[in-house]
Amino acid sequence: MDIGELKKQSDLSYDIAIAKRNALEKVHSRLVVVYNEHIFRADSQTICLVKTMGDNYPAPIYMLDTNGNPVEISDPVDFLKTLIQRNQEAISSYHQMSKTFEKRGD
Amino acid sequence: MTKGVLLFCFDTADVQYHKILERCVGLIKKNLKLEITVVTDFNTFSKLEPLGFVNYKFIEPELGNTKHGLEWRNVDRHMAYDLSPYDTTLVMDIDYFPFTDNLKKFLDTKYDFLISKHAYDLTSRNSFDMRRFSMIDMVWATVFIFKKGHKAERIFEMVRYVKSHYQYFMDLYRVRDRRFRNDYAFAVALEQANGFISYDTLPIKLPTLPPDCKVIELNDHGIVWQYNDQINHIQHQDVHVLNKEIANV
Repeated sequence: MDIGELKKQSDLSYDIAIAKRNALEKVHSRLVVVYNEHIFRADSQTICLVKTMGDNYPAPIYMLDTNGNPVEISDPVDFLKTLIQRNQEAISSYHQMSKTFEKRGD
Repeated sequence: MTKGVLLFCFDTADVQYHKILERCVGLIKKNLKLEITVVTDFNTFSKLEPLGFVNYKFIEPELGNTKHGLEWRNVDRHMAYDLSPYDTTLVMDIDYFPFTDNLKKFLDTKYDFLISKHAYDLTSRNSFDMRRFSMIDMVWATVFIFKKGHKAERIFEMVRYVKSHYQYFMDLYRVRDRRFRNDYAFAVALEQANGFISYDTLPIKLPTLPPDCKVIELNDHGIVWQYNDQINHIQHQDVHVLNKEIANV
Protein backbone atom coordinates (compact mmCIF):
# COMPACT_ATOMS: atom_id res chain seq x y z
CA MET A 1 0.00 0.00 0.00
CA ASP A 2 1.49 3.36 -1.00
CA ILE A 3 1.51 6.46 1.21
CA GLY A 4 -1.36 8.04 -0.76
CA GLU A 5 -3.60 5.06 -0.07
CA LEU A 6 -2.58 5.06 3.59
CA LYS A 7 -3.49 8.75 3.89
CA LYS A 8 -6.82 8.08 2.21
CA GLN A 9 -7.58 5.30 4.68
CA SER A 10 -6.50 7.45 7.58
CA ASP A 11 -8.74 10.33 6.44
CA LEU A 12 -11.66 7.97 6.06
CA SER A 13 -11.11 6.53 9.54
CA TYR A 14 -10.96 10.07 10.94
CA ASP A 15 -14.23 11.02 9.22
CA ILE A 16 -15.93 7.91 10.54
CA ALA A 17 -14.58 8.47 14.06
CA ILE A 18 -15.93 12.04 14.11
CA ALA A 19 -19.28 10.98 12.70
CA LYS A 20 -19.50 8.29 15.36
CA ARG A 21 -18.69 10.71 18.19
CA ASN A 22 -21.28 13.18 16.90
CA ALA A 23 -23.86 10.41 16.64
CA LEU A 24 -23.12 9.36 20.21
CA GLU A 25 -23.49 12.95 21.38
CA LYS A 26 -26.82 13.06 19.58
CA VAL A 27 -27.89 10.00 21.60
CA HIS A 28 -26.92 11.73 24.85
CA SER A 29 -29.03 14.78 23.93
CA ARG A 30 -31.94 12.60 22.96
CA LEU A 31 -31.80 10.59 26.20
CA VAL A 32 -32.84 13.64 28.24
CA VAL A 33 -36.52 13.52 29.21
CA VAL A 34 -38.79 15.79 31.19
CA TYR A 35 -41.14 13.96 33.54
CA ASN A 36 -43.27 15.46 36.28
CA GLU A 37 -41.69 18.89 35.52
CA HIS A 38 -38.19 17.59 36.23
CA ILE A 39 -35.31 16.58 33.99
CA PHE A 40 -33.93 13.04 33.85
CA ARG A 41 -31.62 11.00 31.65
CA ALA A 42 -33.17 7.87 30.20
CA ASP A 43 -29.89 6.02 30.61
CA SER A 44 -29.28 2.51 31.88
CA GLN A 45 -28.59 3.72 35.43
CA THR A 46 -31.91 5.56 35.74
CA ILE A 47 -33.84 2.71 34.12
CA CYS A 48 -32.30 0.11 36.46
CA LEU A 49 -32.93 2.30 39.51
CA VAL A 50 -36.59 2.90 38.65
CA LYS A 51 -37.12 -0.78 37.84
CA THR A 52 -35.49 -1.88 41.10
CA MET A 53 -37.35 0.68 43.20
CA GLY A 54 -40.65 -0.07 41.48
CA ASP A 55 -40.22 -3.81 42.12
CA ASN A 56 -39.11 -3.53 45.71
CA TYR A 57 -40.62 -0.41 47.21
CA PRO A 58 -44.24 0.75 47.37
CA ALA A 59 -45.18 3.83 45.29
CA PRO A 60 -44.53 6.67 45.46
CA ILE A 61 -40.78 6.47 44.98
CA TYR A 62 -38.38 9.41 45.27
CA MET A 63 -35.70 10.21 42.72
CA LEU A 64 -33.09 12.89 42.14
CA ASP A 65 -33.31 14.79 38.85
CA THR A 66 -30.28 15.93 36.82
CA ASN A 67 -29.88 19.00 39.05
CA GLY A 68 -29.96 16.92 42.24
CA ASN A 69 -33.48 17.97 43.22
CA PRO A 70 -35.81 15.38 44.77
CA VAL A 71 -38.91 14.34 42.84
CA GLU A 72 -41.87 12.25 43.90
CA ILE A 73 -42.77 9.64 41.29
CA SER A 74 -46.28 8.46 42.01
CA ASP A 75 -46.46 6.03 39.10
CA PRO A 76 -43.09 4.27 38.66
CA VAL A 77 -44.50 1.95 36.00
CA ASP A 78 -45.48 4.88 33.77
CA PHE A 79 -42.12 6.56 34.42
CA LEU A 80 -40.24 3.37 33.54
CA LYS A 81 -42.23 3.05 30.31
CA THR A 82 -41.32 6.65 29.36
CA LEU A 83 -37.63 6.05 30.10
CA ILE A 84 -37.46 2.79 28.15
CA GLN A 85 -39.28 4.27 25.16
CA ARG A 86 -36.90 7.21 24.95
CA ASN A 87 -33.83 5.04 25.55
CA GLN A 88 -34.73 2.64 22.77
CA GLU A 89 -35.77 5.40 20.37
CA ALA A 90 -32.40 7.11 20.80
CA ILE A 91 -30.26 3.98 20.65
CA SER A 92 -32.10 2.35 17.75
CA SER A 93 -31.55 5.55 15.77
CA TYR A 94 -27.83 5.32 16.63
CA HIS A 95 -27.86 1.65 15.61
CA GLN A 96 -29.24 2.54 12.17
CA MET A 97 -26.65 5.26 11.78
CA SER A 98 -23.82 2.95 12.80
CA LYS A 99 -24.61 0.75 9.79
CA THR A 100 -23.70 3.66 7.51
CA PHE A 101 -20.33 3.93 9.32
CA GLU A 102 -19.69 0.24 8.63
CA LYS A 103 -20.53 0.72 4.95
CA ARG A 104 -18.16 3.69 4.67
CA GLY A 105 -15.41 1.65 6.31
CA ASP A 106 -15.78 -1.35 3.97
CA MET B 1 -49.40 29.46 30.44
CA THR B 2 -48.02 30.87 27.20
CA LYS B 3 -44.79 29.53 25.71
CA GLY B 4 -42.68 30.83 22.89
CA VAL B 5 -39.29 31.52 21.39
CA LEU B 6 -37.59 34.91 21.59
CA LEU B 7 -34.94 35.77 18.99
CA PHE B 8 -32.72 38.82 18.61
CA CYS B 9 -31.67 39.85 15.10
CA PHE B 10 -29.85 42.97 13.92
CA ASP B 11 -28.09 43.28 10.57
CA THR B 12 -24.65 44.86 10.61
CA ALA B 13 -22.59 46.36 7.82
CA ASP B 14 -20.72 43.04 7.50
CA VAL B 15 -23.27 40.31 8.17
CA GLN B 16 -26.82 39.96 6.88
CA TYR B 17 -28.18 38.37 10.00
CA HIS B 18 -31.73 38.54 8.65
CA LYS B 19 -30.85 35.75 6.22
CA ILE B 20 -29.75 33.56 9.12
CA LEU B 21 -32.98 34.45 10.94
CA GLU B 22 -35.07 33.30 7.99
CA ARG B 23 -33.46 29.85 8.14
CA CYS B 24 -33.80 29.64 11.91
CA VAL B 25 -37.49 30.65 11.96
CA GLY B 26 -38.31 27.96 9.38
CA LEU B 27 -36.70 25.28 11.55
CA ILE B 28 -38.39 26.51 14.74
CA LYS B 29 -41.77 26.32 13.03
CA LYS B 30 -41.05 22.87 11.64
CA ASN B 31 -39.45 21.24 14.67
CA LEU B 32 -40.30 23.17 17.83
CA LYS B 33 -43.76 24.31 16.72
CA LEU B 34 -43.74 27.26 19.09
CA GLU B 35 -44.85 30.86 18.72
CA ILE B 36 -41.97 33.18 17.78
CA THR B 37 -41.17 36.77 18.70
CA VAL B 38 -38.28 38.52 16.97
CA VAL B 39 -36.59 41.53 18.55
CA THR B 40 -35.16 43.62 15.73
CA ASP B 41 -34.84 47.10 14.24
CA PHE B 42 -36.67 48.61 11.27
CA ASN B 43 -33.64 48.34 8.98
CA THR B 44 -33.36 44.58 9.50
CA PHE B 45 -37.11 44.08 9.39
CA SER B 46 -37.38 45.83 6.03
CA LYS B 47 -35.09 43.21 4.42
CA LEU B 48 -36.90 40.14 5.76
CA GLU B 49 -38.86 37.82 3.50
CA PRO B 50 -42.40 37.18 4.76
CA LEU B 51 -42.04 34.61 7.55
CA GLY B 52 -45.67 33.81 8.27
CA PHE B 53 -47.01 34.34 11.77
CA VAL B 54 -44.17 35.92 13.73
CA ASN B 55 -44.40 38.73 16.32
CA TYR B 56 -41.94 41.59 16.05
CA LYS B 57 -40.67 43.94 18.74
CA PHE B 58 -38.66 46.91 17.59
CA ILE B 59 -35.80 48.38 19.56
CA GLU B 60 -32.73 50.43 18.75
CA PRO B 61 -29.81 48.07 19.41
CA GLU B 62 -27.05 49.26 21.68
CA LEU B 63 -23.88 49.72 19.64
CA GLY B 64 -20.20 49.61 20.43
CA ASN B 65 -19.30 45.95 20.82
CA THR B 66 -17.00 44.23 18.30
CA LYS B 67 -15.84 40.71 17.51
CA HIS B 68 -12.73 40.05 15.42
CA GLY B 69 -12.83 43.70 14.34
CA LEU B 70 -16.42 43.50 13.11
CA GLU B 71 -19.47 45.13 14.63
CA TRP B 72 -21.29 42.79 17.02
CA ARG B 73 -24.79 43.74 18.14
CA ASN B 74 -25.22 41.35 21.01
CA VAL B 75 -25.64 43.49 24.11
CA ASP B 76 -29.43 43.60 24.36
CA ARG B 77 -29.99 40.07 25.63
CA HIS B 78 -30.51 41.36 29.17
CA MET B 79 -33.82 42.84 27.94
CA ALA B 80 -35.26 39.41 27.18
CA TYR B 81 -37.30 39.33 30.38
CA ASP B 82 -39.07 42.62 29.61
CA LEU B 83 -39.44 41.98 25.88
CA SER B 84 -40.83 38.47 26.05
CA PRO B 85 -44.63 38.27 25.79
CA TYR B 86 -44.60 34.67 27.10
CA ASP B 87 -44.86 33.13 30.57
CA THR B 88 -42.14 30.63 29.62
CA THR B 89 -39.59 31.73 27.06
CA LEU B 90 -36.92 29.94 25.09
CA VAL B 91 -34.27 32.47 24.09
CA MET B 92 -32.06 31.33 21.24
CA ASP B 93 -29.29 32.77 19.11
CA ILE B 94 -30.48 32.88 15.50
CA ASP B 95 -27.44 30.85 14.46
CA TYR B 96 -28.63 27.96 16.62
CA PHE B 97 -30.50 25.73 14.20
CA PRO B 98 -33.04 23.41 15.85
CA PHE B 99 -33.11 20.35 13.61
CA THR B 100 -34.90 18.45 16.43
CA ASP B 101 -37.58 19.13 19.02
CA ASN B 102 -35.07 18.52 21.84
CA LEU B 103 -35.40 22.00 23.37
CA LYS B 104 -39.18 22.03 23.47
CA LYS B 105 -39.49 19.74 26.47
CA PHE B 106 -37.50 22.13 28.67
CA LEU B 107 -40.39 24.59 28.57
CA ASP B 108 -42.41 22.11 30.64
CA THR B 109 -40.20 22.00 33.72
CA LYS B 110 -40.66 23.66 37.10
CA TYR B 111 -37.37 25.53 36.77
CA ASP B 112 -37.34 29.33 36.64
CA PHE B 113 -34.10 29.60 34.70
CA LEU B 114 -32.12 26.99 32.78
CA ILE B 115 -28.95 27.44 30.78
CA SER B 116 -26.21 25.11 29.57
CA LYS B 117 -22.60 25.19 30.75
CA HIS B 118 -21.27 23.03 27.95
CA ALA B 119 -20.79 23.16 24.21
CA TYR B 120 -19.73 20.22 22.11
CA ASP B 121 -17.28 20.75 19.25
CA LEU B 122 -18.61 18.88 16.22
CA THR B 123 -15.10 18.65 14.80
CA SER B 124 -13.88 16.84 17.95
CA ARG B 125 -11.16 19.42 18.67
CA ASN B 126 -12.57 20.31 22.08
CA SER B 127 -12.42 24.02 21.16
CA PHE B 128 -15.02 25.07 23.68
CA ASP B 129 -13.44 24.08 26.93
CA MET B 130 -13.60 27.59 28.41
CA ARG B 131 -13.00 26.69 32.05
CA ARG B 132 -9.33 27.63 32.05
CA PHE B 133 -10.05 31.13 30.70
CA SER B 134 -11.74 32.42 33.86
CA MET B 135 -12.24 31.70 37.54
CA ILE B 136 -15.89 30.76 37.04
CA ASP B 137 -17.68 28.36 34.75
CA MET B 138 -18.84 30.06 31.59
CA VAL B 139 -22.42 29.43 30.51
CA TRP B 140 -23.64 29.44 26.91
CA ALA B 141 -26.25 32.18 26.58
CA THR B 142 -26.86 30.77 23.08
CA VAL B 143 -29.87 28.94 24.49
CA PHE B 144 -31.67 29.54 27.77
CA ILE B 145 -35.14 29.15 29.18
CA PHE B 146 -36.82 31.29 31.78
CA LYS B 147 -40.19 31.43 33.45
CA LYS B 148 -41.51 34.82 34.42
CA GLY B 149 -41.45 35.30 38.19
CA HIS B 150 -39.39 36.75 41.01
CA LYS B 151 -36.40 34.46 40.56
CA ALA B 152 -35.96 35.02 36.82
CA GLU B 153 -36.59 38.75 37.23
CA ARG B 154 -33.85 38.90 39.88
CA ILE B 155 -31.43 37.08 37.58
CA PHE B 156 -32.07 39.54 34.74
CA GLU B 157 -31.68 42.50 37.12
CA MET B 158 -28.35 41.02 38.12
CA VAL B 159 -27.35 40.61 34.45
CA ARG B 160 -28.07 44.33 33.93
CA TYR B 161 -25.97 45.16 36.98
CA VAL B 162 -23.09 42.99 35.73
CA LYS B 163 -23.37 44.59 32.30
CA SER B 164 -23.14 48.09 33.75
CA HIS B 165 -19.97 47.10 35.72
CA TYR B 166 -18.71 44.62 33.16
CA GLN B 167 -14.96 45.35 33.28
CA TYR B 168 -14.97 45.22 37.08
CA PHE B 169 -16.54 41.74 37.07
CA MET B 170 -14.21 40.54 34.30
CA ASP B 171 -11.27 41.62 36.45
CA LEU B 172 -12.78 40.10 39.57
CA TYR B 173 -13.27 36.70 37.92
CA ARG B 174 -10.10 37.02 35.82
CA VAL B 175 -11.91 36.48 32.53
CA ARG B 176 -9.45 36.50 29.65
CA ASP B 177 -11.93 37.62 26.97
CA ARG B 178 -12.38 41.40 27.31
CA ARG B 179 -15.25 41.87 24.87
CA PHE B 180 -18.76 42.01 26.21
CA ARG B 181 -20.09 38.48 26.09
CA ASN B 182 -23.56 37.50 27.25
CA ASP B 183 -22.05 34.15 28.21
CA TYR B 184 -19.95 35.75 30.94
CA ALA B 185 -22.57 38.36 31.90
CA PHE B 186 -25.05 35.54 32.61
CA ALA B 187 -22.39 33.34 34.23
CA VAL B 188 -21.46 36.09 36.70
CA ALA B 189 -25.08 37.05 37.32
CA LEU B 190 -26.09 33.45 38.02
CA GLU B 191 -23.14 33.01 40.33
CA GLN B 192 -24.02 36.18 42.24
CA ALA B 193 -27.79 35.64 42.29
CA ASN B 194 -27.47 32.04 43.48
CA GLY B 195 -25.24 32.61 46.47
CA PHE B 196 -21.93 31.67 44.81
CA ILE B 197 -22.65 27.97 45.16
CA SER B 198 -24.48 26.37 42.26
CA TYR B 199 -27.47 26.80 40.02
CA ASP B 200 -29.72 24.65 37.89
CA THR B 201 -28.53 23.95 34.37
CA LEU B 202 -29.65 22.26 31.19
CA PRO B 203 -28.07 18.78 31.08
CA ILE B 204 -27.11 19.10 27.43
CA LYS B 205 -24.01 20.09 25.52
CA LEU B 206 -24.81 22.51 22.72
CA PRO B 207 -23.49 20.97 19.47
CA THR B 208 -21.35 23.74 18.01
CA LEU B 209 -19.50 24.16 14.73
CA PRO B 210 -16.34 26.28 15.16
CA PRO B 211 -15.90 29.45 13.07
CA ASP B 212 -13.19 27.92 10.87
CA CYS B 213 -15.66 25.39 9.44
CA LYS B 214 -17.30 26.42 6.20
CA VAL B 215 -20.92 25.40 5.86
CA ILE B 216 -21.46 23.99 2.37
CA GLU B 217 -25.09 23.03 2.60
CA LEU B 218 -27.95 23.76 4.97
CA ASN B 219 -31.27 22.00 4.38
CA ASP B 220 -34.36 21.03 6.38
CA HIS B 221 -32.65 18.04 7.98
CA GLY B 222 -29.08 19.07 8.74
CA ILE B 223 -25.88 20.67 7.53
CA VAL B 224 -22.76 19.73 5.58
CA TRP B 225 -19.49 21.48 6.43
CA GLN B 226 -15.89 21.56 5.35
CA TYR B 227 -12.93 21.79 7.68
CA ASN B 228 -9.54 21.75 5.94
CA ASP B 229 -9.94 18.99 3.36
CA GLN B 230 -12.50 17.08 5.42
CA ILE B 231 -16.20 17.14 4.66
CA ASN B 232 -18.66 16.04 7.31
CA HIS B 233 -22.35 16.29 8.00
CA ILE B 234 -24.99 15.89 10.66
CA GLN B 235 -28.69 15.27 10.37
CA HIS B 236 -31.50 15.60 12.89
CA GLN B 237 -29.20 17.14 15.47
CA ASP B 238 -29.34 20.77 16.65
CA VAL B 239 -26.31 22.85 15.76
CA HIS B 240 -24.87 26.23 16.70
CA VAL B 241 -22.98 27.59 13.68
CA LEU B 242 -20.30 30.16 14.53
CA ASN B 243 -19.22 30.94 10.96
CA LYS B 244 -21.43 33.85 9.90
CA GLU B 245 -20.82 33.09 6.23
CA ILE B 246 -23.79 30.80 6.70
CA ALA B 247 -25.90 33.84 5.80
CA ASN B 248 -24.72 33.31 2.21
CA VAL B 249 -25.27 29.53 1.98
